[in-house]
Amino acid sequence: MVPTLFLFIKRPTGGDREVVDIMLFNSIAFLLFFPLVCAVYFALPSLRIRNLFLLAASYYFYMNWQPVYALLLLTSTVITYLAALGIGYFEERAKKRLCLVASLVLNLSILFFFKYYNFAAMNLSVFLEAFGWAVDFPRFDMLLPVGISFYTFQALGYSIDVYRKVTPVERNFFTYALFVSFFPQLVAGPIERSTNLLPQFKEKHAFCYEDAMAGFRFMLWGFFLKLVLADRCGLYVDAVFNNVAHHDGGSFLLASLFFPFQIYGDFAGYSLVAIGVARVMGFRLMENFRRPYFAASVTEFWRRWHISLSTWFKDYIYIPLGGNRVGNLRCYFNVLVTFVISGLWHGANWTFLVWGTLHGALQCVERMFGFHRARWSGFARFLHVFVTFCVVSLAWVFFRANSLSDALTILGEIFTNMAMPYLRLADFMAIAIALSVLFAKEGIDEFGWQVRISESPVWSVRHLYMVAMIAYILLFGVLNGDQFIYFQF
Amino acid sequence: MRQLIVSFIVVLTGVFVVDRVGGLCMGWVNQHTSDITAPKIRYLVNDVDEDVVLMGTSRCNFHYVPSIISDSLGMSVYNGGIDASDNIFAHYWVLSQVLSHHTPKMVCLELMDNDYKIQSNPFNTISFFAPYYGYDERADSVFRLAGTHWAYEVSHLYRYNAKAVSNLAGLLVNRQANEDHGYLPGPEPVRFPDELEYDETRTDADSLKLVYLRKFISLCEDRAIRLVFMVSPRYSQVGMDKYDVLKAVAAEHGIPFFDYHTRGLFLNHPEYFKDVAHLWDKGARAYSAIFAHDLLLSFEMPSLSRKKALSFRRE
Repeated sequence: MVPTLFLFIKRPTGGDREVVDIMLFNSIAFLLFFPLVCAVYFALPSLRIRNLFLLAASYYFYMNWQPVYALLLLTSTVITYLAALGIGYFEERAKKRLCLVASLVLNLSILFFFKYYNFAAMNLSVFLEAFGWAVDFPRFDMLLPVGISFYTFQALGYSIDVYRKVTPVERNFFTYALFVSFFPQLVAGPIERSTNLLPQFKEKHAFCYEDAMAGFRFMLWGFFLKLVLADRCGLYVDAVFNNVAHHDGGSFLLASLFFPFQIYGDFAGYSLVAIGVARVMGFRLMENFRRPYFAASVTEFWRRWHISLSTWFKDYIYIPLGGNRVGNLRCYFNVLVTFVISGLWHGANWTFLVWGTLHGALQCVERMFGFHRARWSGFARFLHVFVTFCVVSLAWVFFRANSLSDALTILGEIFTNMAMPYLRLADFMAIAIALSVLFAKEGIDEFGWQVRISESPVWSVRHLYMVAMIAYILLFGVLNGDQFIYFQF
Repeated sequence: MRQLIVSFIVVLTGVFVVDRVGGLCMGWVNQHTSDITAPKIRYLVNDVDEDVVLMGTSRCNFHYVPSIISDSLGMSVYNGGIDASDNIFAHYWVLSQVLSHHTPKMVCLELMDNDYKIQSNPFNTISFFAPYYGYDERADSVFRLAGTHWAYEVSHLYRYNAKAVSNLAGLLVNRQANEDHGYLPGPEPVRFPDELEYDETRTDADSLKLVYLRKFISLCEDRAIRLVFMVSPRYSQVGMDKYDVLKAVAAEHGIPFFDYHTRGLFLNHPEYFKDVAHLWDKGARAYSAIFAHDLLLSFEMPSLSRKKALSFRRE
């Protein structure tokens, strides 16, 4: 007995306020939206109509948040589309470059205005005040458009690829608009490359049972990561990180150990659901996470974490800066710059900047000692994996803390005021069980053990796995519809 | 496509079977767990028979020692405060369940600003009560209001989601050992709150919450249950108008309103608090004695008219 058949499900929040449920992957609205889109998509006869339908569905999906922000998505699409046409049209290199620069400047200006303006204005005011100039820049109280960093980077990647002649100019506006706004990966990635995704919109995908089942398996595992692992860890992490004054070293340490799994479960979970949703419709999105906490160095961590973003930074920032084909000092500089920008990409706050800088600095240190190329095995590898996890977790403290001073307080308490953490047995059990399931699955995948449950060749085992996962999520999932953390970026 | 349909039917059938069997198993766990919340809800729903029932959230749970109040009043007392049962919707659910099998002589409701202010998700913690979905029509109306009733209709396993792990843990560890009629004495905290916080002052009222507060009152009036409202001490200073919205409703119905928060009781005793919002056992005992004394005094007053209730509130 679903309360309403409308895709906008109203959730009463009291007599004076009513909130429209945003269409998260873990919402009832999406559970209705997705099968409907799939059914219509496969029922439509021609590729052209299918793409138009997917485009409409994607904009509808996006407009669930703030309808007016769809205009920004459209603006970004139009700018990069026209820029690419210009790059393709002009023969002279200078004019091609001008089109590219126009695309970069306009898109980054929109991104800057909505995401960084207030932060920049505030810090500039403080900076000028230090020199005795009191300048009060105007501030804008506005919502950050969901997914703006993701679709802007995806669109910019296309512009650069066209300029580099890596990808041909897409002349069909609707196909290109679908590439930018494809709903499974629109708001939190993976940040797709035009070379991978655009050609897929030119093929008519017939319904494929194997693809559909693979998609559902991705989605189920994604929901487990999000609802059972991330949100459960999040209950504890939020309680501690949002009440810094009321906790001490033990609780901070535990919360700092849980947060890496919260952010991983949250983001990898979203990515897997996105990959699964696309796969059901026959599209193959790129892998975004490859068991990052099995990394034996920070450099390796970034080969496994948010792969679509880290490869974007590598291809469009690190390598153009000279990459590692330059002197050591210049290479360290390149790494540092790339990761400072990566930190800023995640948010307009000093905490993200410090987090990015830390990751850059750690990789420079690894390069100095040659760790980034080292291959360990056995106990040495285990030790490096452990140390890497600790270092990455420490850096996550800056990422999660509400302010730089909170982060420093938390780290100070961890190292100077260790006490028994505040944790209820029930919370500990829930997280421990979820982590056991995670490590069992990822351990099997990492070490290539021949234990196949979700992809078992035996039909009944595959279906039993699905039943068990759904029941597990129903019983232990945190199902009150929290947003995915990465939506804010 | 036929393969997919077969897979769907198989998975859905499997989920249905596991859901129903799992629901039965978790129902058993819910009935046998010795965790903190589940046994209390179980007692309130099935067995409570005390003369005085205290209701509210964790501040009720931690602040009222039934044996002390019982000694003063000469009546049996049960502390029905449930941790995180956030606001008036939860209290209405609890009262509905209690009244389905028992009519206490007095109900004392511990209130807080959540009982009138607008919250982004006021029904968050109603899910604690989902194992009892279908027990009482009036109590179920809260689930319908929250819009979650359909999920409990569809899935029996989901009814146990909010407290599944706590209930399972409660099979392993008995957390009810020192229970005093619903009150579990809290241990001495590692440190007491050191900074006196300043609470936000009165905020806008959610009209639906006030409707439910009035419904709560009329349920008591219909059964001639004496109703008392109270706000126990917090380690924070606050504007005097913080609870005016609630006090106005109480005054309309001639209900005594004991407000120890704005009065600043215990602000000179940080050692009574385990955090800014909660007393620990030492503070609870001191406070319960004061509350019982004040309650007894209010008994000696003749039936309170609205006017008298107003003057009582001002005192």
